[in-house]
Amino acid sequence: MKDIENRLKQEAKRLLESGEAEVVLAYGRGYDEKHPMPYAAKAVSDVDNIVFDEYCTFNMTRYLTEYPLGTKIAIAVKSCDSRTLIVLMQEEKVKREDIVILGIPYRDMIDSKTGKAIDNSTACNLPNPVLYDILLGDEVTERDDGSPYDVLKELEEMELDVRWEFWSKEFSKCIRCYACRKACPMCYCDPCFIDQSQPRWADKSPSLESNLMFHLTRFYHLAGRCIDCGECSRACPVDIPLHLFHKKVSKECEEMFDQVSGMSLDDKQVMVDFKMEDSDEILL
Amino acid sequence: MLKKIGLEKLNEFVSALIEKGTLFAPVKGDAGVDFQEIKNAGDVTLDFYNTLQSPKCVFFPQTDDMVRYRLKKETTDIEEISLDFEPRIAFGIRPCDVKSFEIMDKLFTRGGIVDPYWESRRKNTTIMGYAFDAVDPADFYGAFGIHAADTTGSDVFMVKGEKNLLLKAITEKGEKLLSSVDTLEDALEEDRKYFEERLKKGAELETRTLSLEGVAGKLRDMFGSPYWEKVAAPCLNCGVCTFVCPTCHCFDIQDETLFGEGTRRKIWDSCMFTDFTLEASGHNPRTQKSQRLRQRVNHKFSYYVTNFEVTSCVGCGRCTRSCPVNIDILTVVEEAVESV
Amino acid sequence: MEFEPKILGIACNWCTYTGADLAGTTRVQYPHNVRVARVMCSSRVNPAFIFRAFQLGSDGVLIGGCEPGDCHYSTGNYYARRRLAITKKILEFAGLEPERFRVEWISASDGIKFAEVVKEFTEEIRALGPQTKFKVKKDIET
Repeated sequence: MKDIENRLKQEAKRLLESGEAEVVLAYGRGYDEKHPMPYAAKAVSDVDNIVFDEYCTFNMTRYLTEYPLGTKIAIAVKSCDSRTLIVLMQEEKVKREDIVILGIPYRDMIDSKTGKAIDNSTACNLPNPVLYDILLGDEVTERDDGSPYDVLKELEEMELDVRWEFWSKEFSKCIRCYACRKACPMCYCDPCFIDQSQPRWADKSPSLESNLMFHLTRFYHLAGRCIDCGECSRACPVDIPLHLFHKKVSKECEEMFDQVSGMSLDDKQVMVDFKMEDSDEILL
Repeated sequence: MLKKIGLEKLNEFVSALIEKGTLFAPVKGDAGVDFQEIKNAGDVTLDFYNTLQSPKCVFFPQTDDMVRYRLKKETTDIEEISLDFEPRIAFGIRPCDVKSFEIMDKLFTRGGIVDPYWESRRKNTTIMGYAFDAVDPADFYGAFGIHAADTTGSDVFMVKGEKNLLLKAITEKGEKLLSSVDTLEDALEEDRKYFEERLKKGAELETRTLSLEGVAGKLRDMFGSPYWEKVAAPCLNCGVCTFVCPTCHCFDIQDETLFGEGTRRKIWDSCMFTDFTLEASGHNPRTQKSQRLRQRVNHKFSYYVTNFEVTSCVGCGRCTRSCPVNIDILTVVEEAVESV
Repeated sequence: MEFEPKILGIACNWCTYTGADLAGTTRVQYPHNVRVARVMCSSRVNPAFIFRAFQLGSDGVLIGGCEPGDCHYSTGNYYARRRLAITKKILEFAGLEPERFRVEWISASDGIKFAEVVKEFTEEIRALGPQTKFKVKKDIET
């Protein structure tokens, strides 16, 4: 852990000094040890503020779209985060040549809110970054944790009406602070459909129905793009298990279109692609 | 007047309170404890540090209906929703949150325009304060001269002991309420001692703190400082901090219509949202997130002080605890002042 | 009063809508429960339309497009197929009966198929009963 932090600092310093990167997106100190923060180092003197520990859960790719295209950025990514990078590159939101990817080989981060380890029931939790330029340590060995979709079993086996009860209770809790959308690296639309006034897709006031419209449409917008980093659920102040719905949509995409999101730069995203031989059975 | 009730009889007491008016009290939910209107006495809990959302919803709910209407061919039927003058009881409010009501009063009733929604509910509410027994590292209410067992602003003040809940009437309103509930017993001498001791201990509990001297002016002077860009860099611009805050009071008015019928309602808005300042022309004076974060901090620690001579923050620590990226408003203000 | 399903049909201009017209001009009878909206292509259907339709009180939603391979814009319905398939899974996972949402490829010359699909779908929805889960104003007849 400390090694990763040191390597991160070292690389950040080197990249900023040489001008290879104008900014290094990593993690910094927060108000106490359990609460680090996302951090953008822009000068060599900032490098000392960089930290890395098990509480650095943030998906830093969320900040990439805030910089103008062409900015040279170095970014620290864990496994899921690197998959986001691939998606953002597929969408031409960032260019591969502008990004220096500092891969962090570390899993089982800790959610500071719950104190629990993040495993593949709340995130993708692959052992190593999928794409990187520099790996800040030795590769983590594979381990059989089962599928990240195992957690869905209970919900999938529920009767339809029981599942509706479950989700309507969850969505009723939503206070529409939009932390899920804002924490999501893929939610970069401006304006978001829910903020539009013409057409007005749903009421601005929170209610089961307007919340449902917001969340279902958001799940759809992330179909074939969500890489299961779990930031939406961690950001949610009222603990709606949004990641479960996202996981379900990803699972369906994988089963229907035989492609896992954010795994290869050569892939075309499933929702902007088709195959002649796609079967009508998927519509049943 | 000091009264007491055994913790095992809390339900009985709560049932008696429900008889006296609409009761708002802490209820345990999935994500934490929150204030809710109480229908079943058994829902109420006293085992919590502080609620996830603030008790401002007692006077200023997230959606507040004003007018119902039905659009007809040439006319519109309008039905104004009458103001709520029913007696209310706000139960289990922590001292820092009690202080927030007083701060909001200045804006809603003494700012030249009186908000009847706030005022009518506020007037008819009996506030039952509730002493903290520990300090969360995010809290800094000490900076505003509030302490963990501060009775200021409460009508009744409650202290939870090992076996009993002790209740002291602070105002006439509180006295009236306590004397009308016969499930309560009179406190004994030892209870009195315990109560006084807890108040003393509360005053000794230390939170994080901050010197407020000159902060308002310094923040005003550093309006154009690059500091804001630096400090706002991690901000996601979600609305969590403003929604959980006991003193954030911005709202939007929306007509929500469907099939010719609708309601005009007040809905919480947040200065963190891009469309908060979006003008009809399409112009938006606050397009940068640094501008929005600056607005939130300055409104609380500078503009409000200029307008109402009080800082619009009570140090309850909610925004810090709920922030998805751990931005801490105390640190933001501290470093801002240091940077001048 | 007996339940009469309200069904939103969204039909592509080139095939399904023309097919529906053909059903009309050749006087093939079909239930009046479906209200057809015309779009230029099935790929123009934003899944949010479907969520919204259920919110506004539709008991069922039927999307009609050209047969795969016959799209006026060559490939529109191939994209639509993927999108609408995911939409259906989302509805089902949220807890709505997936049978309330149906996609059919109906060509311009197939007025009879249009009538049959509408007939069959209406009866299915009738059997399912009113859709109340997503409906915004549960108390009013829409």
